[in-house]
Amino acid sequence: MSPVIPFILALGLGLAGWLVARARAWTFKRAAPHGRIAALPAYHGWYAALWIAVPLLLWFLIWTGVSGQLVLSHVLASPEAQALPDFGLRRDAMLIEARNIATGDAVRVLNEESYALAEPFRQAMSRYNIIGALIGLLIAGAGAAWAFLRLKPDFTARTRVERLVLAALLIASLVAILTTLGIFVTLVFETIRFFGMVSPIDFLFGAQWNPDPMSTSSSPDGDRYGAIPLFWGTLFIGAIIAMIIAIPLGMMSAIYLTQYSSRTLRKWVKPALEILAGVPTVVYGYFAALTIAPAIRDLAISLGYANASSESALAAGLVMGVMIIPFVSSMADDSIAAVPQAMRDGSLAMGATTNETIRRVIVPAALPGIVGGIMLAISRAIGETMIVVMAASTAANLSANPLESMTTVTVQIVALLTGEGSFDHPATLAAFALGFVLFMVTLALNFIALRVVKRFREAYE
Amino acid sequence: MNETLPPTRTKAFEARLKKRYAAEKRFKMLGLSAIVFSIAVLLFLLATMTINGIGGFQRAELKVPIDFPAMGLSLNGAVEDQTEAERRLSGQGLREVVQFSAEEALGEDAAQHLNSEAWRLVAHDIYEEPGMLQRQEEIWLPASESLASAFAGDGQTDLQPLAKDLEERGVLADRFDVGFLSRADATDPQLVGIWGALKGSMLTMLVTLLLAFPIGVLAALYLEEYAPKNRWTDVIEVSINNLAAVPSIIFGLLGMAVFLAIFPSFRSAPLIGGMTLALMTMPVIVISGRNAIKAVPPSIRNGALAVGASPVQVVFHHVLPLALPGILTGTIIGMARALGETAPLLLIGMRAFVATPPSGFTDNATVLPMQIFLWSDEIDRGFVERTSAAIIVLLVFLLLMNGIAIYLRNRFEKKW
Repeated sequence: MSPVIPFILALGLGLAGWLVARARAWTFKRAAPHGRIAALPAYHGWYAALWIAVPLLLWFLIWTGVSGQLVLSHVLASPEAQALPDFGLRRDAMLIEARNIATGDAVRVLNEESYALAEPFRQAMSRYNIIGALIGLLIAGAGAAWAFLRLKPDFTARTRVERLVLAALLIASLVAILTTLGIFVTLVFETIRFFGMVSPIDFLFGAQWNPDPMSTSSSPDGDRYGAIPLFWGTLFIGAIIAMIIAIPLGMMSAIYLTQYSSRTLRKWVKPALEILAGVPTVVYGYFAALTIAPAIRDLAISLGYANASSESALAAGLVMGVMIIPFVSSMADDSIAAVPQAMRDGSLAMGATTNETIRRVIVPAALPGIVGGIMLAISRAIGETMIVVMAASTAANLSANPLESMTTVTVQIVALLTGEGSFDHPATLAAFALGFVLFMVTLALNFIALRVVKRFREAYE
Repeated sequence: MNETLPPTRTKAFEARLKKRYAAEKRFKMLGLSAIVFSIAVLLFLLATMTINGIGGFQRAELKVPIDFPAMGLSLNGAVEDQTEAERRLSGQGLREVVQFSAEEALGEDAAQHLNSEAWRLVAHDIYEEPGMLQRQEEIWLPASESLASAFAGDGQTDLQPLAKDLEERGVLADRFDVGFLSRADATDPQLVGIWGALKGSMLTMLVTLLLAFPIGVLAALYLEEYAPKNRWTDVIEVSINNLAAVPSIIFGLLGMAVFLAIFPSFRSAPLIGGMTLALMTMPVIVISGRNAIKAVPPSIRNGALAVGASPVQVVFHHVLPLALPGILTGTIIGMARALGETAPLLLIGMRAFVATPPSGFTDNATVLPMQIFLWSDEIDRGFVERTSAAIIVLLVFLLLMNGIAIYLRNRFEKKW
């Protein structure tokens, strides 16, 4: 059943309930002395509509999950399913194909045997669809009955409706907690499974990164999962090379724009820098891989560096630094603007030049904010994926030479998860462990940054 | 007591002052050059993409005159769709007709460099305008990949003289390729298009918007208008701020472990992609929504309460309409970020080769940035130009979205 149908059904029944309940409330209103009842007729309508549509939608949401399993077990019990292979990828593929044929999503499929399974699928689905729809109608009817029995002239429909609206608002804001929890639980769960196969010591302190997705999961080689080279690569590209570009350029841009530039220049340059932040990272990645990396390689070769690779840490780091510039500059801009004008005027009145004022008074006063901004920039740089996926390599390399190829945590997550590995292989689970480390590190950086910024703000208020 | 005070402007002082002024000038120049450098990189990036990309909207095409009446093709009776027309014309030997006409006009060695799918284009033209079969037509048809790259000046060197010769005869030229905007992915750079990816992007963005916008706005309303100050609302607030800072690839991990486990058959469908991106966009909408709601002055709320509105009526009849432009601005910016996002979609499997544009939320699809990523892996020179052209389209979309956001901000900005 298409997901649109229950939706339309809920809307239609809700609308019907709304119209009927409102009409009924109008009869109360006309009959009541002075034409006053406890709530406007429209609120009676909303009360009924919500009692019909919300349980119906909830039911279909639950039923979609449950009926999938019921259909599957029904199909597996059918005689046609006895011909299926025992387990594994092929079996899953055939089941999905058979389902697609039954729903009409696929006309032609790879496995011939899927056709035979389509018929039981179609039967089971139509059967459970009818059951689901009938129960749904019953639930809607019960909701309608409940709502209509309560419609009376002195029924405070508005308060009830508003209570439901408030509940909806609360639920919406709980989504954020659920997402955070989902991320955390997923990462922790898979990481624990990973550490069941590879010891955490090997993972965190090993210097050899060479996972083999082809190895059998029964004998994982712990010494293949040493993540130190990845951490180093991430740090080197995101926190060192990128920051060497981004911090001076971002800071100087912010200083020039706040202290020296004319209003018109600022009006044009600031949005232009913001464009730099709005360019999709895949475009930066392409730019790095297509233009910057070959240029760096050619330059290195012409300078006599023989084995320059076209995938260097430098190319990825440079482009990432450029991407981060507007980030640093706007944070620095904000914290410089927060320094009281009196401090600047005082310094200038003492005879200091503008740059002495900036270097000795304004920047030190704005430093906590700037440091906070830099931390946020680092956390963004080490979580950045597409630039490094396209411009850095997948070869783990523990080296301080920016011309060498290097790999990062995010590159490895992509590399480990885009293969055809199964879900309980250490190579797949390692990606979640890496994700967990990345998550914790970026959160810690953000937490520290916010703390620093908050403390600094208090100084002048 | 005849001690003379040293003059203030001693030589040493003058030298020091000069040095200080020089330092001042240097510092100022340093600031200016930082800005110039950043802008220069931006311009260089845009220029590289534009120069490369202009070529991507064109393709090398050969001019083939076809004498339809002489070939005895016909398309009589009702033809339901294009596939049917293609099948019938193919049955009548359209492919050979095109090949033969090309050989007649261009010579035998040139005709084999006509793209192998060229006859389908002819079939499409005939389907669009059956009257064509009654006259002679000159049709520009795509050249093969090898001839196209020889024409562009690289690839097989032995083909380059032929390309030059054909160009001089005026039968080989780079022509604007309308189909680039209306086709889907293919293996031949001469035949690819971005419509499939664009449509996938639109469907994905629609799912993202439908999920993230209501949830984000409702959450912002709750936190700003109703939430009591207690530990629970603190937790909600902290987790929203944290989510805004989580690297996008982590959302990919979540989508992969949760959404793909619940809906295994919708792998690489806009539905899953949109849900994953919605989780990422929601905090952005909440944060900008809260700021917009905060900017609505309390006097409006008090006025509404004073005439007897309930708290819910105050919010939905007065505060929300006034805050909406600000919320929309934030939403558009969040959506623009989601539109350019690739990493989470890479993990949930939207990297498949999809040769037909998706027709629904549950079809296999790819999105524009993903198409760019996939093409960037192709070594063919033709794909380099096509990739840049796709980047231009993506950037145009982003600029449009940002432009709308800026327009909204200027149009509805109010000082209370």
